[in-house]
Amino acid sequence: MRKTGRQTPYYTINGIIQRGLPVLIVTCVMGIVVGQILNSREKSLISMPAILILIPSLIKIGGDTGSMLGARLSSAFHMGLGDNIRSNPVVHNSVIAAAIVGFVSSISVSILVFMASSFLGFGMPYLTLLKISLIAVIIELAVVYSATVAIAFISHRFGIDPDDTVIPFIASLGDLVGVTGIFVALYLLNIL
Amino acid sequence: MPSESHRDEDIFESQYIDKYLSEYASVSSIVREALPFELIATVGGVVAGIILSGMTDELGMIPGLLVIYPGVLGLRGNISSTLGSRLGSAIHLGLITDLDRHNPELMNNISGSLILSVITAFILGILGHFATLALGFESVGVFKLTLICVISAFTSGLILSFVATLLAIGMFRFGFDPDNVVTPSIATIGDIVSMLMLFLSAKLVVMF
Repeated sequence: MRKTGRQTPYYTINGIIQRGLPVLIVTCVMGIVVGQILNSREKSLISMPAILILIPSLIKIGGDTGSMLGARLSSAFHMGLGDNIRSNPVVHNSVIAAAIVGFVSSISVSILVFMASSFLGFGMPYLTLLKISLIAVIIELAVVYSATVAIAFISHRFGIDPDDTVIPFIASLGDLVGVTGIFVALYLLNIL
Repeated sequence: MPSESHRDEDIFESQYIDKYLSEYASVSSIVREALPFELIATVGGVVAGIILSGMTDELGMIPGLLVIYPGVLGLRGNISSTLGSRLGSAIHLGLITDLDRHNPELMNNISGSLILSVITAFILGILGHFATLALGFESVGVFKLTLICVISAFTSGLILSFVATLLAIGMFRFGFDPDNVVTPSIATIGDIVSMLMLFLSAKLVVMF
């Protein structure tokens, strides 16, 4: 035991920083883009606290289920199951399952936000919250899942491990498309 | 004869793959495993949202705070989740067995992710300030914005590293696979902790 202590450790600070920093800088830039979209409508957002409660949980759904999808696709590639994009049960079923999880969670988010906002005294009609959640989630899931499948296949084709590329990128893309989807929904419903 | 048995093996193998695939990739099995975690994660998101909606005074007082909020939250998720998954791998490899301050594997993991947090928070603050000015919006100033980023990233990183280490080692002791538990729980706790720290550091910087 003493001996292993003196050897160079498996995890070095430099290694962790070198592998982490490039991805983090990309996600940082995407985070700033999301922030600017929010900032351009800051006044209306501050006047609608219910939407502020909705944003963090709703934009997480796309990134979370997209990361799960990406991890499943990449494991399938590692096991040699993913050769054909069209007639592949793993791709098909994983996309359908991720979409079911995404929709059920978005409905649960709308219920939770409705309860929280009426409890805090700035409630919005439940139907409006449900409509915003569903429109935003449809846009988010369509874009994020297409991107996930595309990135997973492309990095597999070029021999890059999908585990390293898909997940961090998809989480930030989910934020970006999620915020855009919420704004599109607010425009469509004439709220903004 | 050899070709015959070879064919049998092939048939057996393809049947095995079909059976495995239908269990591994059936829609209902994926939904059953993933949905509970996602529902818990949305509860964490709603709590983070409630903190955000309580920050409306600060958001009005500190122009530019709304710009860095998605970045700070995303940063937390990325850094702490990778820390959790690395700790899980290290525990499986037997490199980390105990909460030991002299174990270089554990300390390098924690200090590596803390240094990463501070570097990226610094970049985030500067980028956030200048992007806001470039688009013609008001910003509270590069120093204050970066200070808010760095303080909130460092404090939430410290809390989450501690929680991730305790969870990973504790879960392993109780016979759970840390990989299955640590990453989803850190993703959920991470949103709440980093939103709270963003709120507190914004309050702190505004006071001066």
